[in-house]
Amino acid sequence: MNRRRISLSELVLLAVLAVVSGFVYWALVQAWIALQIAMGPFGDLAQHVLIGGWMVAAPLALYIVRRPGVGIVVELAAALVEVVFLASPVGPMLLVVGLVQGAGAEAAFALTRYRRYDWGVFVLSGALAGLASTVLGMVRFGWLTQDWFAWRLGLQVASGILLCGIAAKVIGDALARTGVLDNTPLGRARRETTSPDTEPVPVA
Amino acid sequence: MTALGQALPHDSVLHRRNPTVKLAVFFVVSVVVLVPVDPWTPLALLVVAAPAVVHAGRIPWPTLGRAALLFGPFAFSLLAVNAVTRDGPVVAEVLGLEVTRTGLTVGVALALRTVLVGTLAVAFTLTTDGARLMTSLHQHARLGARPTFAVLAGYRVLEDLPGRWTTIRQAQSVRDPRHRRGTLPRDPGSLSRAAFALLVVALRQGERMAIAMETRGLGSGPRTVHRPVALDRRDAVFAALVLGVCLLVVLVTWRAGLLRTWSTV
Repeated sequence: MNRRRISLSELVLLAVLAVVSGFVYWALVQAWIALQIAMGPFGDLAQHVLIGGWMVAAPLALYIVRRPGVGIVVELAAALVEVVFLASPVGPMLLVVGLVQGAGAEAAFALTRYRRYDWGVFVLSGALAGLASTVLGMVRFGWLTQDWFAWRLGLQVASGILLCGIAAKVIGDALARTGVLDNTPLGRARRETTSPDTEPVPVA
Repeated sequence: MTALGQALPHDSVLHRRNPTVKLAVFFVVSVVVLVPVDPWTPLALLVVAAPAVVHAGRIPWPTLGRAALLFGPFAFSLLAVNAVTRDGPVVAEVLGLEVTRTGLTVGVALALRTVLVGTLAVAFTLTTDGARLMTSLHQHARLGARPTFAVLAGYRVLEDLPGRWTTIRQAQSVRDPRHRRGTLPRDPGSLSRAAFALLVVALRQGERMAIAMETRGLGSGPRTVHRPVALDRRDAVFAALVLGVCLLVVLVTWRAGLLRTWSTV
């Protein structure tokens, strides 16, 4: 586990990640509204199909920065952006949602003491984020006393695995290939694994 | 609506209130309205809140109405799904699904809660400047200097995002062989490619800003604040008034026997 103090550039990277995620989350809300209308009386289930997309920032931030707590911090910041700047109808409760979903996603990485970043950890991260989100929905909307609870749980976990866990790894790798993450722990780790025999280029 | 994170360009009582106090009060009200699941409590709060924010924030009714239309479908879907998925006396049958009295009650309550919180969210955004909020959080909520600078940098990125999004979408559309003049592709593939490009551009901009900030020594020690945000007695009066009215409404519906919670619905 890396205990060095987080640098300003890493904090700015997390803030930018949170802002773009907040913006994309807000765009996802528009897609969600369209899907809700298309699904008629089953519209409320649309949120479970898309829920993973609202949690992807946490595993992505952990993958890039590789420090304890950044998953929760980035989800909280993305929620703050949605509430404060984009007027989310969920209101400040979104901060609690971000906290719970971020903690769920981060739990998988914490179990490996932030040392493993393979597919299995990302799948577990998405599943736990979906599970945490379901527990919160039970408190906020009384899902447990409603029909379709098994559907809600199944869809949330499946969406969490696909649109949160797996998507975070795919997006992180794609971002790294562009070179934009070269100065981050993810960029450095990729350089170490892809070219172990390459001599470092001397700096003039 | 104004640009992202920018308040309406005029002065009002809500514009002048301390942003941290406003956010804290908004949070408490949102937590309080989690308790009732009867339609009367959120309805009464909405009847009080909508004219109050319009008057205190000098927000035009059409502006508030247009924003409310955005979260209308969310509210309606909550009503629809709760109406057909909760046990209770059946009052109607729609598309082979049984609509129950309990489901309708809870559904209307959750829909009204959504409209209420959405109205407050719009009022908060339209009367709060983003940079002033961050300065206030730094001054009054003890948010550290480095996270404050980082979020302010993120806020700057956010301001540019809609413009960058349009530029990227237009650039990708021009290169698309299926390009049709005057229209932008709306398929999920085009949108996700544009979102990825937006993320890359934003991260590059963030990296450049971080280097500029470090070069200027930002975050290396305590700093003074440009344009400090005031926190005075009027903010305390504002908080007491809003929370007092909120609790009064809940008390009245409880005394009138209208208040329902998850355990009594």
